[in-house]
Amino acid sequence: MSDRVYEILFIVDPNLGEPEVDALTAQVQGFAEKEGGRIQKVEKWGKKRLAYAVGKHREGSYVLIVAEGGSALVKEVERRIRVTDGIIRFITVRVDEELRRAEGRRARRAADEAKRKSRPSARPAPAEVEGVQQ
Amino acid sequence: MSFSGAFKPGASRPGGKPGGGRGGAGGAGGKEAGKRYFFRRRKICKFCADKIDYVDYKDVKLLSAFVPERGKILPRRMFGTCAEHQRKLTLALKRARNIALLPFTAD
Repeated sequence: MSDRVYEILFIVDPNLGEPEVDALTAQVQGFAEKEGGRIQKVEKWGKKRLAYAVGKHREGSYVLIVAEGGSALVKEVERRIRVTDGIIRFITVRVDEELRRAEGRRARRAADEAKRKSRPSARPAPAEVEGVQQ
Repeated sequence: MSFSGAFKPGASRPGGKPGGGRGGAGGAGGKEAGKRYFFRRRKICKFCADKIDYVDYKDVKLLSAFVPERGKILPRRMFGTCAEHQRKLTLALKRARNIALLPFTAD
């Protein structure tokens, strides 16, 4: 069984400066790597306004880490994040299954489109919508 | 409702009740649909139309189009999303709420 892909999105206390955010990011990455996880992506969104107050904070720095690993990884990473000061909110989401399904749908649609084009008779293919983004 | 009569006098509409009209408009959408266009535009699932396969909870811009100011999640009939995408949308909205990207409720 191949490994799963998890997105770990967390919010860092806005009172902490850029270096502290970097340090926390590295720390969380370390948690994941210690559990045999491979980091696929790290994204820092910077300071954003929160939709509601978390603790007393109205804004926070978002950091997204995408890691590949087993289920033990989430367990350990979540446990460690909970005891880490400076992270005010986090969420871990398993994404590999959904993304794979989405990929399959896209492939099927591309195949359909190709088939429709190769058969010029009947009704013309609907106007193509370029750039499927998500 | 008498409006449609003005368009094509004498044309008999299927089903006198509003409910019947809905079924007709929602159907094949052939010549009949144009007449009733002004009453109830056929809603198309945005996710199907834009070919969005994965409804991402991180995409605030997309998601916020589907929550009114109060922050409520509205039923399918409001946006015309198909069942499959409504399910995914709801899940994405709830995840986004959890991480403070969207409000549970506006104050």
